[in-house]
Amino acid sequence: MHEESLARALLRQVRMILDENPGTIAEEVSVELGPLSGVEPLLLEQAWERCGTGAALSIVEVPLVAECSTCNLQIELQEFDFRCPRCHAGMRVVRGESLELVSVTLRSVEHSPESAPCLPL
Amino acid sequence: MSSSLKTITVRRDVAKQMNASGEALRHQLGEQGTLVVNLVSSPGAGKTSLLEATAKQIAGQANMAVLVGDLETDRDAQRLAPFVPTIQLTTGGACHLDANLVQRGLEALAFDTSAEGPLDFLFIENVGNLVCPASHDLGEHLRVVLVSTTEGDDKPGKYPKMFRSSQVMIVTKTDLLPYVPFSVESVTSDALKIQPDLRVLTVSTLKSEGIDRWCDLLWQQRKERLCIDRRT
Repeated sequence: MHEESLARALLRQVRMILDENPGTIAEEVSVELGPLSGVEPLLLEQAWERCGTGAALSIVEVPLVAECSTCNLQIELQEFDFRCPRCHAGMRVVRGESLELVSVTLRSVEHSPESAPCLPL
Repeated sequence: MSSSLKTITVRRDVAKQMNASGEALRHQLGEQGTLVVNLVSSPGAGKTSLLEATAKQIAGQANMAVLVGDLETDRDAQRLAPFVPTIQLTTGGACHLDANLVQRGLEALAFDTSAEGPLDFLFIENVGNLVCPASHDLGEHLRVVLVSTTEGDDKPGKYPKMFRSSQVMIVTKTDLLPYVPFSVESVTSDALKIQPDLRVLTVSTLKSEGIDRWCDLLWQQRKERLCIDRRT
């Protein structure tokens, strides 16, 4: 159930971007998450909705990509087996381990931000 | 009302930002010579029993303390208190500990009169749960996952993130091996697929088996990770 805290952490990130861009509201927030992120997309979506920002959350699920620490072979893993198929050494994850904030789409507003619908942030 | 759209690309790891306080704790405690060990497992795998045995084994050689997390009650703290300074962290229903709770526990520990001098080891007994604690950095130097012989040897495959993020796996309750369908070999090979660098130990606290090897590993990890020698 840590999707709640992740949604709040995500919200803090978005808020920082809004602070750096005065006079804007967040229209869409795009994130990527992988099989080892420990995040359930549906639960994250629900937790995000409960934050009540009005901004849409776009979730892209990315594959698990690992690289061999010895022979540098890089492959997409179909299962959680982190031994290199070529040399049997341990592999490190290069993608698919995290929840990543990719981008935020901002809409500039003429009126004061307080009156904007998407800003109970 | 005229308006225009622009997209700002950021690429930030959300959990990393969330776990920043864990990183700060690890650094701070490491500088003081304290190895922080986060014990994780499903409920009833034997975390408290292992800590009890550890405290008895290294009493007099090391300064240690325990922060123990549970949803409710202070039963684990009561069990451990006769052997080691212990602070109960009650999460009030939350399924995991976080670095802020650990920070609070450390502050409480500072007022505990039975704890004295800088700690060699700080153990954090996490809430019994193989899912959520995997995503929370408590500032530990070492994450140790326990699997008991009574809960089945299929746990690594079912909870890959927990085993992937641990450095040590301890198979507990090995005294029950003759009576349960559990294969140490199979749980080990499954776990090593997920985390090829995992150190694997077996213990029975009931028979006091494997505790000395576990304690040796603790001293050795403290030396390696904090670059300090055991006190003489």
